[in-house]
Amino acid sequence: MIREKVTARPLLDWFLSEYLVLGLTVALFATVAPLTPGLATTASLLKILSYMLPLLVVAIGMTLVMITGGIDLSVTSIIALTSVLGAKLMSSDGQGAPLLAGVLLMLLVGALLGAVNGAMVTLLRLPSFIVTLASMMFLSGLAIWTTQSKNIYHLPGAFLLLGQRLPVALAMTVAVGLSADLILRRTVYGRWLYAVGQNATAAHISGVPVGVITFVAYVASGFCAALASIMLTARLETGSPVLGHEILLDIIGATVVGGTSLFGGKGKVAWTCFGVLFLTVLDNALNLMNLSEFAITIIKGGMILLAAVLDSTRRRYTSQAL
Amino acid sequence: MKKAARRLLEFAPLVLFGAVLVLFGSLSRRFLEPSNLVNIVAQASSTGIVAVGMTFVLLTAGVDLSVGAIMFVAAAVAGKMMLAGVALPLALGAMLVIGLAVGAVNAFFITRIRVVAFIVTLSTLFIGRGLGLWITETRAMNLPESFLQLGSARLLGVPFPAWLFGTVVIVGHLVLTYTPFGRQVFAVGYDARAARKAGVRTQRILASVYLISGLCAAVGAVVTLGQLGAVSPKFGQQKEFTAIAAAVLGGTSLFGGRGNVLPGTLVGALLIQALENGLVIINADPYLYPIITSAVIFLAVWLESLRNRVRSAGAIAVP
Amino acid sequence: MSEHWLQFDGIAKAFHGVKVLKAVSFGVAAGSMVGLVGENGAGKSTLMNILGGNLQPDAGRIRFAGRDYLPRDPQDAAAHRIAFIHQELNLFPNLSIAENIFLTRFPRFSTTPFIQRSEVDRRATELLREVGLEIPVRRLVETLSAGERQLVEIAKALSIDARLIIFDEPTTSLTERETARLFELIARLRARGLAIIYISHTLRDVFRQCDQIVVLRDGQVLGSGPTNTFTTERLVSLMVGRPMSQLFPERAATARFQNATASRDPAGALLAVRGLSRPGLLENISFICRQGEVLGLAGLMGAGRSELARVLFGLDRGAQGEVWFDGNLLQDASPRERIRRGMAFLTENRHSEGLCLDAAVADNLSLAGLAEYGRTGLRWLPRGPLQDAITRIRGEVNIDPRVADQQPVRTLSGGNQQKVVLGKWLLRRPRLLILDEPTRGIDVGAKYEIYRLIHRLADNGTGIFVISSEMEELIGLCDRILVMRNGKLVDDLPRSEFDRERVLRAAIGNPEEASS
Repeated sequence: MIREKVTARPLLDWFLSEYLVLGLTVALFATVAPLTPGLATTASLLKILSYMLPLLVVAIGMTLVMITGGIDLSVTSIIALTSVLGAKLMSSDGQGAPLLAGVLLMLLVGALLGAVNGAMVTLLRLPSFIVTLASMMFLSGLAIWTTQSKNIYHLPGAFLLLGQRLPVALAMTVAVGLSADLILRRTVYGRWLYAVGQNATAAHISGVPVGVITFVAYVASGFCAALASIMLTARLETGSPVLGHEILLDIIGATVVGGTSLFGGKGKVAWTCFGVLFLTVLDNALNLMNLSEFAITIIKGGMILLAAVLDSTRRRYTSQAL
Repeated sequence: MKKAARRLLEFAPLVLFGAVLVLFGSLSRRFLEPSNLVNIVAQASSTGIVAVGMTFVLLTAGVDLSVGAIMFVAAAVAGKMMLAGVALPLALGAMLVIGLAVGAVNAFFITRIRVVAFIVTLSTLFIGRGLGLWITETRAMNLPESFLQLGSARLLGVPFPAWLFGTVVIVGHLVLTYTPFGRQVFAVGYDARAARKAGVRTQRILASVYLISGLCAAVGAVVTLGQLGAVSPKFGQQKEFTAIAAAVLGGTSLFGGRGNVLPGTLVGALLIQALENGLVIINADPYLYPIITSAVIFLAVWLESLRNRVRSAGAIAVP
Repeated sequence: MSEHWLQFDGIAKAFHGVKVLKAVSFGVAAGSMVGLVGENGAGKSTLMNILGGNLQPDAGRIRFAGRDYLPRDPQDAAAHRIAFIHQELNLFPNLSIAENIFLTRFPRFSTTPFIQRSEVDRRATELLREVGLEIPVRRLVETLSAGERQLVEIAKALSIDARLIIFDEPTTSLTERETARLFELIARLRARGLAIIYISHTLRDVFRQCDQIVVLRDGQVLGSGPTNTFTTERLVSLMVGRPMSQLFPERAATARFQNATASRDPAGALLAVRGLSRPGLLENISFICRQGEVLGLAGLMGAGRSELARVLFGLDRGAQGEVWFDGNLLQDASPRERIRRGMAFLTENRHSEGLCLDAAVADNLSLAGLAEYGRTGLRWLPRGPLQDAITRIRGEVNIDPRVADQQPVRTLSGGNQQKVVLGKWLLRRPRLLILDEPTRGIDVGAKYEIYRLIHRLADNGTGIFVISSEMEELIGLCDRILVMRNGKLVDDLPRSEFDRERVLRAAIGNPEEASS
């Protein structure tokens, strides 16, 4: 059966394509900027960028997990736990260890926690939602317990640079994003990842190492969470046991709004970038408009819904003939 | 021996519950005192009621992340009304209406606009929380005495919340097991497309379960309000996750088509509460609660998956 | 008869501009059994879906029992006492037999919403007895076999007091015994006055059971009349649109496989199996398959054939015994390892195990062969070589050229889908190709192409191990046939000794034996 050209109008076509969310972001920006004098300034744009980077890093890890058809609800708890562990190690109130040791510890712990999630999902065959939900509660509780709910201060100056110097954070994010994108688009591993999400049984029979690929996705997610934690901890200059707990839904929302399917088999790094950008621009714009917290929350929810509705409409409009 | 183990697995939630009772009972005599047991039921009521509604949604392979936010909005509105002098029954009625209304909004976007439930209820979660913050002006609200009486009133020595919990569980069970609607919920959860083909009004069923979930969230809010007597900006937060945990602990599958309210969700909610109650009684470090609770949830889910594995291995192989 | 009991008149239906039915007209007499035959995509299922209320026609009308009939939905069709038993049974394994039967028609306590359990059980038991099933009605459907499930579907049809039942490919998942039981039941139902529309690719059954045959091709009726006015040749040529003197290509080059003793000599064999056992499933299986040989495996459903294939491919690890491939002992090797060594396995469920339905044709084709094309540690995929391989393989298996590389596989016909799965495995040029029901649910034209492909592969030295429930297919295709029964190999026939009765006897065994 030949695929029909849906519409001859190029604008509508583009609108309905995968750049929908990017278009929405630009439209949003264009609409709000005239009303908000501070939005279109360089400082504001840079702020948006620096705010976006840690979110994007976590969301990229989340994208990999979602492509396999799973979800990782524990990412923010991993952020919190690695934050306090790293801070404890590096703080002058703590061990006073060198920067490298702290950073390596955080990344290692993040990857390890991701590995535990991955093991439970692949070896024990448990649904990822509930496994990572339990992890989230467990690790969050662990973080709070080890610090007795107290923050950790006095982190080394070199470490603070990692989060506060934009070029550094940008370099880290680009490195992660580029690697993930290249792996997904141009390597066998990427193809295997998509296959696992589309039909794990068929993939297994076709020789795809389903278990290993799924496992690695969770390890990557944990690693990305730890990397984001480095950026966030450095920016806040604090090791906090509740770091990131309010952005879990933002991360998931941004990833899905970008176009990655919750059911697996579909997703791209670029899409996630668009989704995170959208949410960040929205957040910042609303903040600058001096709207109260509740208005921001409401509008955020409404925007996520709007993006999803448009996506659903787009999907129905371009469905194939059987 | 293997047969006995298999039997045990079938009733994993109950067995775990029994184990918790035995464990804490042996660690502290106070735990098994009737007054404490009644206490556990009363404290579990709010989560349990919400979890019953969530069970309906999970059975259709959906999810309702907005229940906590629904609780918040309902409680906030009721609080405002009562502080303005409105009579208690009206305020209660308003709460139920709000629960149904938000449930209807969820149902609309999920069934008519065909957006996946996770995203829709995630959005309503945001919107609901925002609305609640707006209504309460981000401050705590102390409710008049009459509400607290609701929470502490007793009938035959059993607190009102527990009665409400029991009623909701029984009604939920009757609906799921003895009505065509309930049976069709299972069919839709197994395969919505096949259910449509078989003549089931799939859209109606899918819409209904979100209405039920919203309503249960509102009723749960009534109980919580009655027990706390106040609405804080954190009212109902994370309730969606505890409700899901309770349902899953009780044997409801996240993939739809499997689960039950009685004994399942009932035991799941009681188990979580008994655990927390026991930890308090033995004076455990409060920071350990979420750690231990999540470990138990994980254990229960793992046993559940083993049970499913055993069950399908025993069935006759079909192509 | 001026007007038939059921009359289709100029029914037309198009999907997205593609005409699937182009003015279909024919009549069905009351109490008769009509065989509806045609290739996949001919429009049979679409027509029946219209009759059953799943689809609305664009034009034309249907007259049923003297009145105009146009069901809005399946429940409307059920109200007219028309039941549609789909190929994929519409049952819910997580519910009981009784609940499945009465899912939309539960008897209730007067005005209350509560189900009258006792009444449900009573009626369900009665219905089960009518279809010859003696099983407690509270049992969950997930515990039933395919044949039992189908009987439950028929019980469902009887529960609405059906006067017309449509069967869509009912025997594909049934054992011989279950098929016989089904036809007995159909005969009983017909004696009560029911009419049957029977869609099937198993022409032998159509000839034997139906008194009228209707042939569809490309959405039009090309032939319609009493069964005795059709011969197989005429039927097939009407279905396919070109004369086909035979259904199977000539099998040459089989002489070297005719030596009975040589066929047991493991030295130099491509695949040698020794003493393969899996408690409850396989018992002491030993055989060999040589390069270029087409080896068939016959047997009833439940004999253990697919299980054997899964063990051979490493999907089932609990077996004892030895599997030698190309002179190497395969110890617990994973499917991935076996693919690397040159094995390939086309399973019997292409939808659930062979294809990623939402993925593109190209992605599906390349899935098993990806590892070969990856470069260096990161396994880069250079665009050129992989694309060339995909284009090459499309030609080899003859996938419809109108199908785009990027099209989701879900949108392809059954025949093209199966070709995609075959193409996936052939991309790596395997040495041994294991096929489990390779032509199930595929029209005659596509079947022939697959047979030709198999012979071509064998002539080039690939060993083929094909499992099939269609006797004619094995007899037409193979150099040698093995027969399995109850997990054991009970016969081994070279082509010169091919005999339908002998195979059947070996497969069924002694009818007095207790086990099925």
